[in-house]
Amino acid sequence: MKKLLVGFALAALLTPAALAQSKPPTAQDIVAAADTTRNPGQPFRITSTLVEYVGGKPRDRVALVVFAKENKQTHQFSNLVRYVDPPRDLGKMVLMNGSNMWFYDPSSKVSVRISPQQRLMGQASDGDVVTANLAKDYAAKLLGEETLQDADRKDRACWHLDLTAASPEAIYSRIEYWIEKGTNRPVKGKFYSDSGRLLKIAYYHKYAEQLGGMRASETIIIDSVDQNLVTTMTTSDMRAQDIPDAWFQREYLPRLKVD
Amino acid sequence: MRAAVAFCFLCAVPAAAQENGDLDRIPTLQEEASAPVAPASNAHGKYYLEDAFALSSSRGSLAVPLPLPSSSDWGNRTSLDAYDQWSLAQNLSFTFSDRFSLTESEAIVFPRDAAHNDLREAYFTWEPVAATFLELGRINFKNGIALGFNPTDFFKSRSAVVLASADPSAQRGDRLGTLMLRAQTIWDGGSATFVYAPKLHTPRPLVGAAPNWIDPSFDQTNASDRFLFALNLELGDYSPQALVFHESGRTKLGLNISHPIGQSVIAYAEWAGGSEPKLIANAIAYGKATGTLPAFASVLPPTSTSRAFQNDLAIGASWTSEAKVTLNLEYHFHQAGFSGADWRGWFDIGAADPLAASELWYVRGYASAMQQPMSRHQIFWRAAWEDAFVEDLELSGISFVNLTDGSGMAQFSADYNLSNSWSLGVYVGGTFGGKRTEWGSLPGASSAIFQVVRYF
Repeated sequence: MKKLLVGFALAALLTPAALAQSKPPTAQDIVAAADTTRNPGQPFRITSTLVEYVGGKPRDRVALVVFAKENKQTHQFSNLVRYVDPPRDLGKMVLMNGSNMWFYDPSSKVSVRISPQQRLMGQASDGDVVTANLAKDYAAKLLGEETLQDADRKDRACWHLDLTAASPEAIYSRIEYWIEKGTNRPVKGKFYSDSGRLLKIAYYHKYAEQLGGMRASETIIIDSVDQNLVTTMTTSDMRAQDIPDAWFQREYLPRLKVD
Repeated sequence: MRAAVAFCFLCAVPAAAQENGDLDRIPTLQEEASAPVAPASNAHGKYYLEDAFALSSSRGSLAVPLPLPSSSDWGNRTSLDAYDQWSLAQNLSFTFSDRFSLTESEAIVFPRDAAHNDLREAYFTWEPVAATFLELGRINFKNGIALGFNPTDFFKSRSAVVLASADPSAQRGDRLGTLMLRAQTIWDGGSATFVYAPKLHTPRPLVGAAPNWIDPSFDQTNASDRFLFALNLELGDYSPQALVFHESGRTKLGLNISHPIGQSVIAYAEWAGGSEPKLIANAIAYGKATGTLPAFASVLPPTSTSRAFQNDLAIGASWTSEAKVTLNLEYHFHQAGFSGADWRGWFDIGAADPLAASELWYVRGYASAMQQPMSRHQIFWRAAWEDAFVEDLELSGISFVNLTDGSGMAQFSADYNLSNSWSLGVYVGGTFGGKRTEWGSLPGASSAIFQVVRYF
């Protein structure tokens, strides 16, 4: 009986699409393909609107303009994040350039260096789940194939992957990742800290045409530390922009303008 | 057997079904709440109204009596704060930062002395070529990687304004800028900055108010000719900054450096050094130059007035936990500051000669106005906990401790964002130590401040 049930479960995991493929791609190939659906392959600017739901009700709303560019040496994204709403946070900025990370407040006129752990705090950190180049910093292992419900409760046939940090630039110690077969679209991610603690769960959905590709226009981030907290990140106004490398240093933070 | 079958059935539930349990945590999303924000072209300013009500208590008796009675034990300040930037042409912009305050207390005649304006910044920025900037006007220009003491913050002298919090982070922010010409060029991997701040006035005495409420106080911020050159480099994850500063025939060198250690720690160090007299000699010379102290005033406590190379150092680290708690711990060395012998002299002379008290307190007022530590050795810590217990509540604490006599000050605060427009703050602090210690000899024993902020 037990063998039968286990066999049934395995059969359920092997979807027709998987069976049809004679030679499945490697885990690293799948993650790299998912990265390309999220990253347009050129420097870009995007507006992210984050709404925090506490106990199911919307509470805080933050809007960020993000300037992102792939670092030629590390192949990781360098980000400049500027708060444009609410008025209390207007003009605050975060620089994330590898381990060179700074927070700038126009009120205090001071740039404070922040650690990777501090990067995980605050709304700006949620950009990690959107612009990270995971294939470069993580070693991927294929756990299997699963049919998973996306944020809209539609069934998606997915690769289930386990990503382990493989470079010092990796922000999370481990990521569980579900990528839709065929489209290579990320459906879900679970992000873990060094201590193995589950920090956040991300659902990627509402795929729409943005800067030459179909990209998730909304990401739902379920906080696993604060059980009452869920954040939605809606992206808009994605456009290519020439971003000089000189922007990605702390002295440029007071100079960054958003027009 | 039935139990075994049930167990096996649970084992065999497809992993995906278990995986989707978290979908139940997704609330009914409100489309209007998550509608994307288009950053408005005019959304570049920050305006808020702030009210801070303070209660304070004083020590009954002091080791060295104050020459004047301590001020009111309550006060209320209402401030309108504005920060904005305007683009005047393609490569030309104007920045303005100002605070207008109305203060009430027993020591202030209302409304005659109640109004006060702090023009923090007003300057033009011109970018003639990409990433090269020329700026002219009053600029709040800061340097320094540490939190509690910034040896390389060469424009901090006499720039402080009245604030609710004693946290050095707040003190550095809301202060008067300096009228200067600043040039900066930024390239891939570094930047260079040159500053010239001219002397516009003779320095205003430490004691005494501005001539009128709208006076920009250039006699505080531009009382000498100053030059600064700073070089920033992105080298090996250390982000070093080297500085050369020149003021009134004195040259100081400075260095800032920081480096991440692992995922949670940032180590940093800030140093400045140059030839100058001790704090006591500097203070007495300033008092004489501004007419507060008579020309024949002796140097008390007795100390050499000659120059020697003096070092200032702040070295520390920050650590952040997964629970959103950040702790900073710093050691501060101020070689020109009071030694143990200087403190003994300060207390002995003050107790034996009440007529010398005003000069002794003047030295301490000078150090405060120049934002220098009084003592040679102190430690500083700051702890901040974001989203403590509930979302948008930040609890924090700071403390300075004199390593020679064990006295210190501490402040604990709670800041809560009621909404995107309203914030509340409570700051409770005090000083501790024996009567013959740095902090225990101060008149102020404890204080509590309640603050409401409305953002527009």
